[in-house]
Amino acid sequence: MNKNYIILAILFIILAGGYFLLPERENIKQMKPEDLMRDIVQTSRYVTTDQVAEMIIEGDPTLELIDVRNEYDYFEYSLPNAINIPMDSILVEEYQDYLGIEDMNVVFFSNDDILADQVWVIAKRMGYGSLYVMEGGLNCWISTIIKPEAPQETASKEAIELYDFRMGASMYFTGSDISTPSEEGAKPVTVKRKKKGSVAEGGC
Amino acid sequence: MDKRHVHETNPKRTFVTVIIFVVVIVVGLLTIRSPKLKYELSPSQTVELVTSEEHVMYPYELEDIFSGAIDTVILIDIRNKFEFGRGHIDGAENISAITLLSQDNIKRLKQSMDNGMTIVIYGNNQLEANGPWMVFRQLGFDNVKVLLGGYNFYKEWKDMLGDTYYEDSYLLGAPRYDYAEVASSTAIVQGEDDPESKKPVTVKRKKKSSVAEGGC
Repeated sequence: MNKNYIILAILFIILAGGYFLLPERENIKQMKPEDLMRDIVQTSRYVTTDQVAEMIIEGDPTLELIDVRNEYDYFEYSLPNAINIPMDSILVEEYQDYLGIEDMNVVFFSNDDILADQVWVIAKRMGYGSLYVMEGGLNCWISTIIKPEAPQETASKEAIELYDFRMGASMYFTGSDISTPSEEGAKPVTVKRKKKGSVAEGGC
Repeated sequence: MDKRHVHETNPKRTFVTVIIFVVVIVVGLLTIRSPKLKYELSPSQTVELVTSEEHVMYPYELEDIFSGAIDTVILIDIRNKFEFGRGHIDGAENISAITLLSQDNIKRLKQSMDNGMTIVIYGNNQLEANGPWMVFRQLGFDNVKVLLGGYNFYKEWKDMLGDTYYEDSYLLGAPRYDYAEVASSTAIVQGEDDPESKKPVTVKRKKKSSVAEGGC
């Protein structure tokens, strides 16, 4: 056999060794850090409790609520039709099917919004799209939707309309029979004092 | 008819071909660009990281920084220039979130990290700093912390930071309501009557402050 063959074979084996010099490339669909940071700076991922309530009431078929608290908290109380994926099992194989569903808008929520936001960052890095975070979490849900605070008499029209919406939503979610705010409001000049200044009413 | 292969009849041509081939491959290998920023933590390590609940800085720790008892901390305000200009924590440096990953900043922060400095980032609230903090951690900066409560809490308490030791309003994550009660009870909605409200009061008009009321 011609020794050229041998030399060529050895040469190509050596070149093949160049493969080991290639930078390690992980899962290709993972988001680059720069892009992840760019998306983090945007605040468009936050949805308010009012928006979530509206979507639930209207039966929005694209809404997918994911409770990222632990199982115990989830069974104690959660939003209607929410799925439970605890934070520490967000990467578990069997849950991945819940995340990448086409046309579904995933809304993460927790007691506050930090945990949900952390899950958002991880899921976003994994390349999933259409992810949202419920701002204020369940604490805000209760203080705005379940137990809405009545605005002052002098509040703007928008604030009163918002309160009406919340009262309706509260009834929807608790099934309770509440005296409507307008009945009470009908009494002339009964003003409910708020403790502090009236900045951003109903905020969490 | 010569049955030998072409490279045996014309070794010169073969040699040139092989050289070109080798050069192309070697050039290819050498010019592959490695990404500028790489994740040092895998996704599952990141999950572990955030569940460990470490790497936060409490507002009362700021006192030690101001007094000089701790001098290995770099405070970074990640809000934009405008907000920074309106007020910020003493001694903080302004690097808005969008420019945090610029090459200069990364290089500088890495250097100060190697010098044993701790980087503490803050936004208006904890949520604002959470994302940038996670990115930094995933990039391998393991001494980056988040200031709990953020600037809003600081602003409210800046004259009595020591007292915040017993304060917990800035701690997030815990339920603030008894969810079990919410789940079972139904008639919880109407606010408590406070006697003061019975007084007739002249109505005061608000000007037009429609600062997104009811936002969370």
